Amino acid sequence: MYTLRFSPDSASLIVRLILEELALPYEARQIDRAAGELSSPEYRALHPLGKIPAMETPNGPMFESAAILLYLSDRHPGLAPAPDAQDRAAFLKWFFFTSTNIHTTLMDIYYPERVAGDAAAGSVVTHASAKMKTLLAAINQAAEDNPNWLSFEQPSLLGYYIAVLMRWLGQNDPEATGYIKASDYPALHKVLAMLEMRPASLAVAAAEGLGKTIFTMPS
Amino acid sequence: MYVLHYAPDNASLIIRLVLEEMGLPYRTALVDRRIRAQDSAEYRAVNPTGLIPALQSSEETLFETAAILLWLSDKHGQMAPTIGDEHRGNFLKWLFFTANTLHADARLLFYPEQYAGSPDDHVAFRGKTEVRISKHLRLLNDIAASAPPYLNKERPSVLSIYICCLIRWINLYPVDRKGWLPLHDYPALFEISKGLQDRPATHRVADAEGLGPTIFTEPHYANPPEGSAL
Ligand SMILES: N[C@@H](CCC(=O)N[C@@H](CS)C(=O)NCC(=O)O)C(=O)O
Ligand SMILES: N[C@@H](CCC(=O)N[C@@H](CS)C(=O)NCC(=O)O)C(=O)O
Repeated sequence: MYTLRFSPDSASLIVRLILEELALPYEARQIDRAAGELSSPEYRALHPLGKIPAMETPNGPMFESAAILLYLSDRHPGLAPAPDAQDRAAFLKWFFFTSTNIHTTLMDIYYPERVAGDAAAGSVVTHASAKMKTLLAAINQAAEDNPNWLSFEQPSLLGYYIAVLMRWLGQNDPEATGYIKASDYPALHKVLAMLEMRPASLAVAAAEGLGKTIFTMPS
Repeated sequence: MYVLHYAPDNASLIIRLVLEEMGLPYRTALVDRRIRAQDSAEYRAVNPTGLIPALQSSEETLFETAAILLWLSDKHGQMAPTIGDEHRGNFLKWLFFTANTLHADARLLFYPEQYAGSPDDHVAFRGKTEVRISKHLRLLNDIAASAPPYLNKERPSVLSIYICCLIRWINLYPVDRKGWLPLHDYPALFEISKGLQDRPATHRVADAEGLGPTIFTEPHYANPPEGSAL
C-alpha cells in the first residue's frame, strides 16, 4: 500500500498517473499548502526539502518524482524495460534526460527568480525557453521510432512523465516565450493523445478536476 | 569493451572512476574541447545534446551521467543497492536529487552564460546558486553521517563518487571563486572524499587526466596529457 501526498496538478500528478495505470492500491492524501503543511515537521520527515510529491512506501518515505517512478516500475513491471532488457539503456538515458534537463528547464521557465533573482528573470526565461525547444526536439526524434518505452500505442513511464511536463508548458500563455504547443512535436503529440484517453488519465483528471484533453490541449 | 567519450576533468571523470573501480575494460575517446568537438556532427551523433560524457557499449550509446551510473551498477551488480534491496528506493531518490538538483545547480556556476544573458546577471546567479548548493550539501552530509550502504566512507559507491566529483568542481569553478566552499563544513562528505582519493582506482584516473594526488580534498586544475578541461 502506498500513500501519495499530493496537490492537484503539481508534480504528484506524474506519480498518481502511474499508480493508476499500474492499478496499484494507494491512498491519495491532499497536502494543505495554505496551512503551511509543506513546512510542517511531519511533512519534512517525509521530504526534507518540503516539496511535492512525497510517497510513503513499505521501504519508507520516497521523494523526487522520477525516483518514485523508477522505484514503482522496478517493483511492478510493465511500464518500462526491465533491468536486464536490451533497451533498458536507451530508456534510462532518456528518462534521466527528462528529469535533469526538461524538468529542470521547465522549473527555470516558471520560477526564473529562484535562479538569479528578479532582475535576471526575463533573461533566464528567454534562455530556458530556447533550450526547451532543443530538448523537446531531441526527445521527439527519439520517439519517432516508436520505442516501447515511449510508445504511441501503449502506456509507458516515460510517456506519462513527458506528457505531464508538456501539459504544464501548454498551460503557459500562448503569447509567452515559454509556451509550447504539443502539436509542434508530432511524435510526442501521438504519445500524449493516446495517453490522455487512458482510463488512468480520465480517472486522475476527474479526481483532480483537470478537464478533458489534459495533455494535448490542457486548460 | 566500453568506449568512454571524455574530456579531462569533465563529468566523464565520474564515469571513469566508476569503470576503474569496477575493474571493467574500457578505452577513452577524447572530445577535444579546444576545438569545441562537443559541437561537431560526429559527437552530436553520439550525444544529440553535445554534453560530455557518453558511454558506448556493445548494445547502446548512453549519455546522462546518472543514467550511466545506474545502468553500470545494475548491469555489473556493483557499487549501488540492487533492485529488491531495502535501500534501493533511498538510493534512487538521492541519485536523482544529485543529478537534477545538485548537478543542475553546479552547472549554473560553471556555465552562467548558458542560463542568462549579461555578465551583470551572472553575479546575481552566483550568490543565489552558492546558497542553494550549500543547502543541498548540508542535506547530503546529513545522509552521509548516517552511513547508508550507498553513501559511506568504508565502501565506494556510484553516488559517493558522483557527489565528490561535483564538490571538486564546485570548488574550482568559476576560476575567480576557487576554493569558496568550506569543505570542513561537510565532515561526513569530507571523510568519504578522503577515503576515495586514496584508492588505487582514483590514483590511476588522476594520473591519466593530470589531476594530482589530492583530487578531492585539495583540488588543483587539471594538467592533462591530452585535451583540455575547458
Ligand atoms: N525534482 C522534484 C521537483 C518537485 C517540485 O518542485 N515540486 C513543486 C510542485 S510541482 C513544489 O513542491 N513546490 C513547492 C515549493 O517549492 O514550495 C521532483 O521531481 O519531485
Ligand atoms: N546532465 C549532463 C551534464 C553533463 C555536463 O554538464 N557536461 C559538461 C562537461 S562537465 C559539458 O559537456 N559541457 C560542454 C558544453 O556545455 O558545451 C550529464 O549529467 O551528463
